[in-house]
Amino acid sequence: MTPRAITGLGITCALGTGAEMVFRALHAGHLAQASKAITSFDAAKYANDSSARVVEVPEFDPTTYLGSKGLRTLDRLTKLLVVAARLSLHDARIKKDNQWVALSPEGVGVCCSNAYGSLETITELDRIATLEDARYINPAKFPNTVSNSASGYVSIWEDLRAFNVTISDGNCGGLDAIACADLSLATGRAAAILTGGGEAMSEALFLAFEKLGVGGTKASPSVETIACETILGEGAAFVVLETTQGAKARSARVLGEVVGYGTSFVAPEAESVLLFTSQEAISRAIAQAIDDAGLAPKDIDIVASSISGLAQFDDEEFAAIEAVVKNVPICVPKRMFGETFGAGGTMGIVSALGWFDGAPVTALVRGAAPSRIDHVLVTTVGYYGNASAVVVRRPR
Amino acid sequence: MRVFITGVGVVSSIGLGKAAYFSSLANGESGIAQVEAFDVSNLGREFAGEVKGFRPKDHLTAGEARRMGRCSQMALAATRMAIGDAALPAAALQGPRASVVIGTTMGEADVLGNLDHAWIHKGASGVRRAWIPKYGSTLLSIHVARAIGAEGSVFTLPGACAAGNYALGLAADMIRAGKADVVVAGSAEMLQRLQFSGFIRLAAMAPAKCQPFDLNRQGLILGEGAGVLVVESEAHAVRRNARLLAEIGGYGMTCDAYHITRPHPDAAGSIGAMRQAIERSGIGVESVDFVNAHGTGTRHNDVAESKVMREIFGDRKVPISSMKSMLGHCMGAASALEAIGCIMTLETGIYPPTIEYETPDPECDVDVVANRARKGAHDIVLNNSLAFGGYNAVTCFAKPYKLPDPPHHQAA
Repeated sequence: MTPRAITGLGITCALGTGAEMVFRALHAGHLAQASKAITSFDAAKYANDSSARVVEVPEFDPTTYLGSKGLRTLDRLTKLLVVAARLSLHDARIKKDNQWVALSPEGVGVCCSNAYGSLETITELDRIATLEDARYINPAKFPNTVSNSASGYVSIWEDLRAFNVTISDGNCGGLDAIACADLSLATGRAAAILTGGGEAMSEALFLAFEKLGVGGTKASPSVETIACETILGEGAAFVVLETTQGAKARSARVLGEVVGYGTSFVAPEAESVLLFTSQEAISRAIAQAIDDAGLAPKDIDIVASSISGLAQFDDEEFAAIEAVVKNVPICVPKRMFGETFGAGGTMGIVSALGWFDGAPVTALVRGAAPSRIDHVLVTTVGYYGNASAVVVRRPR
Repeated sequence: MRVFITGVGVVSSIGLGKAAYFSSLANGESGIAQVEAFDVSNLGREFAGEVKGFRPKDHLTAGEARRMGRCSQMALAATRMAIGDAALPAAALQGPRASVVIGTTMGEADVLGNLDHAWIHKGASGVRRAWIPKYGSTLLSIHVARAIGAEGSVFTLPGACAAGNYALGLAADMIRAGKADVVVAGSAEMLQRLQFSGFIRLAAMAPAKCQPFDLNRQGLILGEGAGVLVVESEAHAVRRNARLLAEIGGYGMTCDAYHITRPHPDAAGSIGAMRQAIERSGIGVESVDFVNAHGTGTRHNDVAESKVMREIFGDRKVPISSMKSMLGHCMGAASALEAIGCIMTLETGIYPPTIEYETPDPECDVDVVANRARKGAHDIVLNNSLAFGGYNAVTCFAKPYKLPDPPHHQAA
């Protein structure tokens, strides 16, 4: 692919809010700290240790970034995404003090991933409709139930008019958003694209993964160095993607470059299987991304993996990485950010940007931290046989 | 590179399959009727474009039907119809050069509804573990890819009412960029009680009729269904001697960035999207023969869309019509189903009517194809969608080789 410049980062996640705070945490080698107490829903009825399996955005207060007006009916997912969007535009010096200082509303688009939508609002309104009366559904909240609502609010709050594409590819969405943004830049649909994703903690999400027995599961022994427990996370992150020429023309600071993308899907053979991962699909996505970047496997310095603590998935990913990029150090960004599903791929990219900024490599599950990092392979693995990968390059 | 549509598949309230659908569109038949899927007795509204004749077992294996919600079931059924219509050999869809892009609004809404209701009535212990992995919009494209053997990009785009146009636009861009040879693209949506109730609470729903551009319109009527199209590169289609139904020309998209449910009253975004679609097709406005309206039957939409027509076409009254008068507003499925209606127009020259059109609205000074289908020029048509969230997407379709050579709409 034609290299795309990353000119800004907006993020709100387990490590804090804002690129500066998150980079500071990465420099300090912080890992995600499980919440002392869950704040996004009442966890009293669940096991005492439930908060140990959840990591929320610490002290998330959208009013700090958005003011207090207009937030009353917005759900948590929307607030996370809008905060990340605003911060990314400021970090990219496209806006300053909420005013446009570069580009224009018609020149900026959005590619936003989200895996599960606003479970918070859907379950709340369903409960009202079922236990009370459907006629009591709050019409001001109803729009939050629509899958592209949070992404749509990003455009509304930040006045981004080029286009808005919402992607729902489960864990792979954050990287598939890169593919959509790349095509949109290639076809001249925008000068800059907020590319990323978000996921919000909710009781429904927590319950679903508790029922699946995911919370607190440990990675397979084949994942070598550290115990890697699944911690449900939340957060939102956008990187601002521009053509390298466009970034240069406006003298934008470049944090990194996305230089390759690959994706693949392989279906399970057994009719009854739904949850599935394929080493072949992951290998193919990785090989494609490296080839798309015009690189050889030996050029990859480190992998920001999708390893999450689910043995079945981690084993396949580990083997796929090994099959294509032998003996490369493998990091687990989910130890820093938690499992953020639709935002996970973007969090992997954020890890790479942190390393380019000089942050030490932590949460390695194989190998030692390389002395210099020029090319990072970011991987995402879906729950149904899909996988995507990108290569991020140190800015030149 | 030219990009062609070679097959279409339809699950709709006015017919299953291309032939039934085309016939109903041409004859102005309405699929809007009393809702049967759930209890609407206390909601104050009871009509929708519900798909009543769809039997999953006619199109899916028992195993497929079991692991899918209704939305995916309809998407896969429409996919199989489209592949059959395209006479596409199974081998052409297998492997990394075949991709799937499916749009939606709410995806597997019934799966989530079932989980939610079990949780509400029985508590956490009542939530069936086996149902949980069946939820997620991503499954629409995953199920389709799995069934047909595609191993390239597998994307789900929840682009609300513009989702079908998004899927087709992305499919065309992927092919032009050399990332795929064939893409199964379309969109799907199912009716569900929560969403039906929510639209009533938004005061957006009409009692019984959808009347786009009519002075006495009372709002939208929801619908459901799936529309799927086989999209191929010229080289791929020619190599297998495929019948070419239509060419995908330019594709425009913008965002209003104005209001979550209403279009911008100035319609600048939707004007921009239509202008992009025309310019990216390498044609002038005079080449457009027909416009399929988004045409929801709400005043906000109809007035904004009429403004778009005036702004783009000036004094020239290009015929416009809304299939939603027959289908209801099928939300995520709408613009793919309507794209297939546009293919009918290109094939037959028939402009589908806007039924229930009784009293012209002076604010909508457009040439509505009122109540009865009309025949006319049919080389180039536009498919308009102005979606929830301010998402605007317009796709240009043309008879094969009626558009200029492709550099105009080729990926850079």
